[in-house]
Amino acid sequence: MRLPKSGSAYAAPLRPLLAKELTEIASGRALWTMLLLVCPLIGYSFVQAVSLYSEASVAALQSPAAAATLSPLDGILVPTFGSFYVAITLLFPFVAIRVLGQEKESGALRLLLQLPYQSSTLILVKLTAVLAAWAVASIPALSALVAWVILGGHLAASETANLLLGHSLYGLLVGSIALFAATISDSSATAAIVALAATIGSWVLDFTLAGRSGLSAWIAQLSLTQTLRSFEQGLLSAGLVLGILAVVGGFAALSSVWLPPGIPMRAKFGRSLLCALLTIAALGLATQVRTSVDVTEDRRNSFAPADQELLATLRLPLVVTVNLAPEDPRYIDLRCNVLGKLERAMPNVSIVLVGSRQDVAGTSDTYGQIEYVYGGRSDVSRSTSPREILPLLYALAGRQPPAPVPGAEYPGYPLIANADATLLWFFCGLPLLIALAWWRSRQPPTVKSLAFEGGQP
Amino acid sequence: MTATNSMPSGILMELLRAADLTKRYGEDAAIAGVTFVAAAGEVLGIVGPNGAGKTTLLEAVAGLIAADSGGVFWLGDSLPPSRRKAAMFYLPDGVRPYQDRFTIEVLNFFAGVYRRPRAEVSRAIAAFELQPVLRKRVSELSKGYNRRLLLAIGLLTPHRVLLMDEPFDGFDLRQTRSIIGVLRKAAGNGRTFILAIHQLADAERVCDRFLLLAGGQIRGLGSLRELRTRTSIPQGSLEEIFLALT
Repeated sequence: MRLPKSGSAYAAPLRPLLAKELTEIASGRALWTMLLLVCPLIGYSFVQAVSLYSEASVAALQSPAAAATLSPLDGILVPTFGSFYVAITLLFPFVAIRVLGQEKESGALRLLLQLPYQSSTLILVKLTAVLAAWAVASIPALSALVAWVILGGHLAASETANLLLGHSLYGLLVGSIALFAATISDSSATAAIVALAATIGSWVLDFTLAGRSGLSAWIAQLSLTQTLRSFEQGLLSAGLVLGILAVVGGFAALSSVWLPPGIPMRAKFGRSLLCALLTIAALGLATQVRTSVDVTEDRRNSFAPADQELLATLRLPLVVTVNLAPEDPRYIDLRCNVLGKLERAMPNVSIVLVGSRQDVAGTSDTYGQIEYVYGGRSDVSRSTSPREILPLLYALAGRQPPAPVPGAEYPGYPLIANADATLLWFFCGLPLLIALAWWRSRQPPTVKSLAFEGGQP
Repeated sequence: MTATNSMPSGILMELLRAADLTKRYGEDAAIAGVTFVAAAGEVLGIVGPNGAGKTTLLEAVAGLIAADSGGVFWLGDSLPPSRRKAAMFYLPDGVRPYQDRFTIEVLNFFAGVYRRPRAEVSRAIAAFELQPVLRKRVSELSKGYNRRLLLAIGLLTPHRVLLMDEPFDGFDLRQTRSIIGVLRKAAGNGRTFILAIHQLADAERVCDRFLLLAGGQIRGLGSLRELRTRTSIPQGSLEEIFLALT
C-alpha cells in the first residue's frame, strides 16, 4: 500500500493521451472551419500567382535571359503559401487554443491534471496535436502544389521542402503562443485576444519599425513575420531554426509552469523567470550559429560555383567595414548581393557597420565607402555588385579569378498555363471533401469498439 | 515531517490524514485549521451547507489548490501536493468532460491511461448502467448520466482514495440507493471514499463517519453514534445533530 515515489513513477502510456488530443482537436469546429476558410483563400492566391507567372512567361519564352529570372519559388510557392501564412496568423490560434481551452471551460482539465503525467508531458502532447492540426490545415496549400505539377509546372524538391519546413515552424510557433495564452487565460475568448495580440502585434511591429536602425531594428527582428523570410528566400539557416525551436520550447516550458494548479503564484513567477532566462540564453546561442545553406535551384544566395570554391579556400580573416546606414538601400543591396553570400562562402568574415542615419544627410566624403581588409592588405569600393567586389577580393588574396563553369546557369522555368479550372477544386471539390470528413469524424464509434459494452470481457 | 495526532477511536488503519489545513481568499478563510483522518475502506462524509468549504477542503486535500498552511499525510508520511495524484483521485462537481466525444470514448481514454482491462470497463459500465448512453456524446447526457460517467471514471482509476464532490447530485432516490450500493461495495473491497455531500439524508445512508463543516471550520467529527453521544441526542438524525452543532 506504500505510495509510489512520485507521480511519474507509474509509467502511463502516451498513446491514449495522444489519441485523445488528436480526436479532441478533430472533433472541434475550429479546425474544420479554418480548413473551409483556407480553401478559397489558397485557391484564389494560387490562380492569381499562375496567371501572373504565365504573363511573365510569355516574354520569357522568347529570351533565355528573361527565362532565367522565372523561378516557381518566387512566382508560385511564396504567393500561394503567403495566404496560408495569413490564415495561420489569424485563424490557427483559435484551433490551438481549443486543445486546452475546451478542457478548462468544461472542467475536464481538473481530471486531466490528476492523470499520471507530468505537466510538461501534457503540454508536449498537446503541442504535437497542434502540429498535427497544422499538417491538416496545410492540405489546401499542398493540393495547390499538386495542381501546379499537374499543370506542367516545375517544383524543386529542396526549396519546396525548405519552404514547408519554414511554414511548419511558424505554425508551431503560433501554436505554442496560443497554447501558452490558453494556459494563463480563464476563457478561450481571453486566450484568443492574447494570442492575436502577439501575432497581429508582430505585423504592426514589422510595419512600423521596418527600415529603422539601432534598437528599433533589433525590436523589429523579434517580429514573428521575420521567421519566414529566410525560408522564402531559399535559405536554410541553422541559427534561425534553432532560434524558433528555442522560442517554441520557451513557450512550452512556460505553459508547463502555469498549467498545474496548487502551486503558489510566487513559485510560478520564479519558475517563469528561469524559463525566460533560459530561452533568452538559447536564443543568444542560436544567433551565434551562422551555418546556413542555399537550397534554391538558381543558387540566388550564392556566388557562381567556381567563385564559391575559390572563396572557400581563402582561410584568412576578411574584415569588411561598411560606411552605410542600415536603412540605406545600398546597404540592403550590398547585404543581399555580396555580404550574405560572402559569409556563407568564406570561413572567416567579419562585417563592421559604421554608418548611421545622420551620415545619410551629411557631407561626409567617406559615407558610402566599403573597406575590405584581407591578409594585411586593404582596398576600398563603393560598389554593391559582386562583379566588382569579387575581383577586388581576389586581388587582395593574390589569386586569379576563376574561369566560369559552362552549363551551370539556371535555365528558369517559364510556363504558360491557365489555372482557372482549379477554382472548382478549391471552391467546391475540396470543401465538399472537408465537409464529408467533418461529418465522418462526428459519427459514433464502430460496433467493434463497443464489443464489450454488454458487460462481458 | 510526520503527523503526530493520535488515531481517533474506531479507526482501524489510518490511511490519509489532513492536518490543520487552512485556505484564505483575501481576508476570508474558506477553511480554517481542518484536521481529519480517513481509514482504509471507510466512507467519510464531509457534510455542510453551501459555502461551508467542502469543495475547497477536497481541492486542498487533492492538491488542486495551494493551501496556505497545513499538510496531508499518507500512512504517516508527508504527502506534498505534487505527489497527491499518485495517492488519490478527485472527482469535482460540475464537470462535463470532453463534451464532443462519445461516452464510450471517454471511458476508454481513462481505462487506457490506467491500463485497465476491458472486463473492468465493462463492470463499471454495468455498475452505473451506462449502456444506453455509450454512443451518445457527453454533451447530450442528462445531468444524472453525466454524474454516472464521472463515477465510472472514478471507479476505473486505481487509487486507494477517491474524493468526490456531491456524488449524488442529479439522482433520484432509487438511483441514489443504487449508487450507494456500488460505492459501499467498492469500500468493502478496501477503497476509501471521502464524499462532500450537502444532502444530509444521503450522507446518513452512505457514510461511516461524518465531518460536519460550517463556515470553513469543523463542528463535529465522528460516527453517527459518536455524534449522538456528543450532542446528547440519542436517537437524533444527522440533520438534528448538524443543527445542534452549528
